[in-house]
Amino acid sequence: MTLIPANSGRLERLYALALRLYPERFREAHAPAMRQVFRDALNDSTLPRRVLIPLILRDLAASLAKEHLAMLRDTFARPVLLYNALVLTGLSTGLALALYAIPQQVLRQGANDPQIAMATDLVSVFEQGDIADLLQQGTLPGLTAGSGGVDMARSLSPFVIVYDDQGRPLASQAQLDGKAPALPSGVFDFVRQHGEERLSWQPRRGVRIAAVVQRVGGAHPGFVLAGRSLREVEVREEQVRQMAGVTWIGMLGVILVGTAAFGWYTRPKTA
Amino acid sequence: MAIGTAPAAPLTPAVFAILLSLSEGEKHGYLIMKDARAPEGGGLHMGPGTLYGSLDRMMRDGLVEESGASDNERRRYYRLTGLGRVALGNELERLDATVSSARSLGLIPHGGRP
Repeated sequence: MTLIPANSGRLERLYALALRLYPERFREAHAPAMRQVFRDALNDSTLPRRVLIPLILRDLAASLAKEHLAMLRDTFARPVLLYNALVLTGLSTGLALALYAIPQQVLRQGANDPQIAMATDLVSVFEQGDIADLLQQGTLPGLTAGSGGVDMARSLSPFVIVYDDQGRPLASQAQLDGKAPALPSGVFDFVRQHGEERLSWQPRRGVRIAAVVQRVGGAHPGFVLAGRSLREVEVREEQVRQMAGVTWIGMLGVILVGTAAFGWYTRPKTA
Repeated sequence: MAIGTAPAAPLTPAVFAILLSLSEGEKHGYLIMKDARAPEGGGLHMGPGTLYGSLDRMMRDGLVEESGASDNERRRYYRLTGLGRVALGNELERLDATVSSARSLGLIPHGGRP
């Protein structure tokens, strides 16, 4: 079948419309020449339309995808853009880590404050006499031989545990599973050398205690541990972690959008 | 590919067909397409998008250039550069070695296809 020239003109107009789908830079550089090639092909009597039209359709589909991918690569995969995005991502990651780590440390260190005061006061009392005698005389309210009433697994109340020089519990305001828990011997060794240790103590899975251990000096040495549950502090730490995470994701989003916008406005515009 | 360096890897069929067509002299887009379509040009049915996409990259790589000649304001003529000629020569040598190897293995009869 031979098309009349009017049909050729219509096909050429359709092809010209299809050329608008190419990226701007490519279109400006090559659309007129491509339209001329299409016109030459339409006028070539050795190339039947039944061959040409499917060829053009396949070519449009393949080359549109290819040129748009190339345009995206030229626009957004430029080394300067990627380098800037990488640096900004590194900075925002560092900032987000600081946003988490600083409040986390402040919360954790602040959780020791009452225990430091409690342990210091008690040590000064014990250094005036014999620990065992003072405990037996009941000079320290609430601190009795054996284990006390504060349930370490549930209570948020601060408590005190007194140990002898070998690290055996002498008296306790708290109990875990019905007894005063023992501290790892390494803690006592450290406190013997340094006078004090501040630690996160996990006497049992799921029970974490902000503990301050101080050395009782003098003629009847021993140790005083003041502690309280870290449960509420860890809830606040988790909130800080989530806020830092959301902030980090937000910063990454801003970097992504900013990089895309900067890439688009500074894209190569000439062939 | 850096400008000034002939591509080392096998050329794409479109790039090879364009280089082969332009080895005869400067030509405009449709003539290149027509040469590529012919069996001796590679038998490649290439449309204008593929042609000008390839020419765009080949010009950027310094393999071809516009000659400036024109018999129509929309028709552009292209020609090989020295680098394009080197790239075509390298590809032909590669293909020749491949064909020789296939022939020595008996995959192609001596003297061409039966």
